[in-house]
Amino acid sequence: MTQTPHRPAEHTTRPRGRLVGQSVPRKEDLALLTGTARFIDDIKLPGMVYAKILRSEVAHARIRSVEVAAARKMPGVLDVLCGADLVGKVKPWGDMMQDLLVGDHTPFAVDKVLYEGQELAAVAAQTKYQALDALEAIELDLEELPAYVDPEEAIKPDAALIQEGITYEFGDGNIFDRYKLRVGDIEAAEAEAAAVVRQRFSTNRQAGAALDPHGCVASFDSFTRELTVYSSTQSIYMVRDVLADVLQIPRNKVRVIVPEVGAGFGSKAQIFPYEVIASIFSMRLGRPVHLVLGRKEIFQSGTARNSQIRYAELMCDRDGHITGYRDYTVHNCGAMSVWGNQVLHIGTNVGMLPYAIPNIRVDGNIVHTNTAPGGALRGFGIPQFIWVKEQLVDMAAAELGLDPLEMRARNVIRPESFPFRTPMGQVIDSTTVYDCLHKSAAAIGWTETKANPVPYEGLGLAVSMKYTSCRHPSFDTDLSAVRLRLETDGTVTIYSSDVTHGQAHATMLAQIVADGLGVGFEKITLARPDSVTSPFGLGTYASRGAAVLGTACRLATERLREKVLAIAAHVLEANADDLDIGDDRVFVKGLPDSGLYLEILASLAAYRTHQLPPGFEPTMEAIATYDTPTEREGPDGTGNLSVTYSAAAHAARVRVDPGTGLIRVVDYAMAHDTGVVINPLVVEGQHQGGFLMGLGMVLGEDYVYDDEGHLTNASFKDYLAPTSTDVPELTKIYELPAPSLTIPGGQKGAGESGTGPVPAAVGNAVFDATGVRFTSLPITPQQMLLALREKDRRGLATFRYPDDMPGFTGPREPQDWPEPLLPDDMGFDWDNFEDEL
Amino acid sequence: MVNVTITVNGQPVAADIDERTLLLEFIRDVAGLTGTHNGCLEARCGCCSVELDGAIVKSCNVLAVQAAGRSVTTIEGLSPQRLHPAEHITTGSLAGMYQPLDMLGADAADLHPVQAAFHKCHALQCGFCTPGMVMALKNYLAENPEPTRDDIRAAIAGNLCRCTGYQHIIDAGMEAAEQLRAQADA
Repeated sequence: MTQTPHRPAEHTTRPRGRLVGQSVPRKEDLALLTGTARFIDDIKLPGMVYAKILRSEVAHARIRSVEVAAARKMPGVLDVLCGADLVGKVKPWGDMMQDLLVGDHTPFAVDKVLYEGQELAAVAAQTKYQALDALEAIELDLEELPAYVDPEEAIKPDAALIQEGITYEFGDGNIFDRYKLRVGDIEAAEAEAAAVVRQRFSTNRQAGAALDPHGCVASFDSFTRELTVYSSTQSIYMVRDVLADVLQIPRNKVRVIVPEVGAGFGSKAQIFPYEVIASIFSMRLGRPVHLVLGRKEIFQSGTARNSQIRYAELMCDRDGHITGYRDYTVHNCGAMSVWGNQVLHIGTNVGMLPYAIPNIRVDGNIVHTNTAPGGALRGFGIPQFIWVKEQLVDMAAAELGLDPLEMRARNVIRPESFPFRTPMGQVIDSTTVYDCLHKSAAAIGWTETKANPVPYEGLGLAVSMKYTSCRHPSFDTDLSAVRLRLETDGTVTIYSSDVTHGQAHATMLAQIVADGLGVGFEKITLARPDSVTSPFGLGTYASRGAAVLGTACRLATERLREKVLAIAAHVLEANADDLDIGDDRVFVKGLPDSGLYLEILASLAAYRTHQLPPGFEPTMEAIATYDTPTEREGPDGTGNLSVTYSAAAHAARVRVDPGTGLIRVVDYAMAHDTGVVINPLVVEGQHQGGFLMGLGMVLGEDYVYDDEGHLTNASFKDYLAPTSTDVPELTKIYELPAPSLTIPGGQKGAGESGTGPVPAAVGNAVFDATGVRFTSLPITPQQMLLALREKDRRGLATFRYPDDMPGFTGPREPQDWPEPLLPDDMGFDWDNFEDEL
Repeated sequence: MVNVTITVNGQPVAADIDERTLLLEFIRDVAGLTGTHNGCLEARCGCCSVELDGAIVKSCNVLAVQAAGRSVTTIEGLSPQRLHPAEHITTGSLAGMYQPLDMLGADAADLHPVQAAFHKCHALQCGFCTPGMVMALKNYLAENPEPTRDDIRAAIAGNLCRCTGYQHIIDAGMEAAEQLRAQADA
């Protein structure tokens, strides 16, 4: 049955050779480029109606009444819902803590409004306009309460409770959870240190602001009692399982399908009230319900980066080796937050890298305020922490008279052998972070520029390492799965529940399958994530795609390859070891022009099962689930939470206009270790996009609240998302790969490593340019002007903003810092926990 | 309600619409072309950019009645889908024998040079801003066939992208300009 293939000309244009490592053009592009891709707002089902949500215009209030009778009578209105309607009918869902889920999330506020934008009522109507008109007919009677915007105000002993009626296991007042990290002996490190630098830092709240709005279309079939939800989510099973639980219906009766998702950056990695509201409307009406949020709603009620205040101290010996890190953190999760708690745990743990600091003590209070929910956002706590730690490193270098590059070179991990376990618990299976540091510094012209400084121009460095996957404190799992089917025409379908929303899964996974199965790249298709057909996986977050999902795909490919070879060996009466796969065929090694086409083998397995080897289970499917060999966070906060760690060393050159305060990043170098890169152009794009998000964080993006808790910039008009003219040319991008030793293909996560160092690198460069050390984010031109003027007025060489400004009301010096607000022992001897265990 | 007719990608589309209807909504809900995206409804993100009588506009910032009797080009107008020979289904064993004409869809070969450049340069990730970016660049390159990189930056400054860092989009703009010049010379 050997055949000589004849290939028409167009087949010569298919990507050839080993595809992993090639910048294969993306499979995703054609539909997106031509406008045929269907995003959530494009979904239209027969009989579909439209829902809109009425959101609170105040941040903190007691609800006296929500009167919907008039809205029910408005034209086109089919149904109206408010909080009181659902009490006792839907189960609350909520914040995830260590082994704990708190039911503080409800579809609508019931007794109290906790933040501006919280859901109060919703209308379903024939048209969008009718729904919007009816919202205006809903009468609210709210008793406004003082709002807590500043987390340090919210934790004062006399502060009123934001979340009432919930008893937190480790919480107290508006502190709903605590974080503790203990490594080594911090007191001894402090006593022996040659230099200790101390500074209070604060960070901002940044939005994901994915351009594709959050939304869903829910469709309940009252005959089969199946609820189908099209959702613009990053995680279909998280939505399915929570939704089924909230509605108390069987999980196999909830089907979550994902259309094209226009990015998320972490902001779509959870269930939201609108998914519950649309589902309830559909169940009540028996019609599909479209509920897509507007931009203002997304700013107000989507999740934003958790802000932090860190009272931070870094200790060094006289050679500049970092010997200790201590801080007290106030971590602002907003009024409620599914993921916010974990941001402090993971961001702090992984953020310690790329240094192996032997003595660490961190105490954190995780706090509610009357602001938008905090949550996952590209970097997940690492950009916040790196902003603090990498500026402390520069401050320590200055105190010791060391060059910041040299200081870092002495500290970044550079073990003699791998795997290397840090005192923090991370298992570093490979890294080139030391080389990345020098590469980025050289690319920005570090040494030359330092020798010839230019006024108002400065350089800054920052290094970080980023998790590739994560075993979250509340989840003891870190898995992804892939099912492959070799179809009977020789094409391959990939099923996965990890949603691609910009990361090129269809391309990246096809590259892996094409290499492993010898099937043409153009014959491989990634099926849309659908909880009815996709194998269970956790979703797309934590930069897991290439490494964790990619490994599941590799394992499934190997299993399918074994099946293919087994049938071919039987048919060809050959030994499977003598066979190879390539060009859509199985052939005898050394005879690549001979062989059996995959479609023939697949057809045998489906339609000619007599010709299969004895005992061979028909059809050509293989499934693989990969759970990473990671650890849970220990009681002391240590542990290896990620399967491997990608490194990033960034170098920024900024120019400050002393007349306008404008800060421009004029040159930027990024050196990364992303392990084995599957698609270099895609990974380059990830780094550039990661940089953009870091640039937005440091130079403009923020949730600006007034004292009453109103978000004053819930619009792209006022929210300063960087535009094309804010970004420097991003051509100095270098990959210095150290293949992961844990991941079979050697991949490391690419998605978030570009973000972590950016705020700190720019902050350090701004200090180098102006002598102004910004300790809060973002750095705006207005602040820069104020700082420069005050610095000149007082004739200072260096200046801290805002700490040294006359109007600053926070603690200026370490002796004024607050003591960590912590119960003495929480019933546990943290310093000698090993003895106690 | 008011009756309007707008020519969309060469085809007249007539409907009775609410006076409040935006051009964006007319394109999406009446003409049924969902490649023009609603990202903010306040003329900031640029995801809804289309050409109106040859000028680039943000269609969320134009009432449909303002476009009555005029001509709109959307992303779908750049590379009309058509029947063409499918190549992926052609199995190796049968490839030489027949050329099936059974796939409806776009093909890389049919793309407008701006679209093709986006594909080549990996100028899109999630793809939501892409139709607006492509329309803005297509319109700009018609006016300025020999742009600098800074020109391209300025041309897309009214279009937000959260994924790419803009670098590859600017690469694609330069690549498209080159291809368009080559086409013009040919």
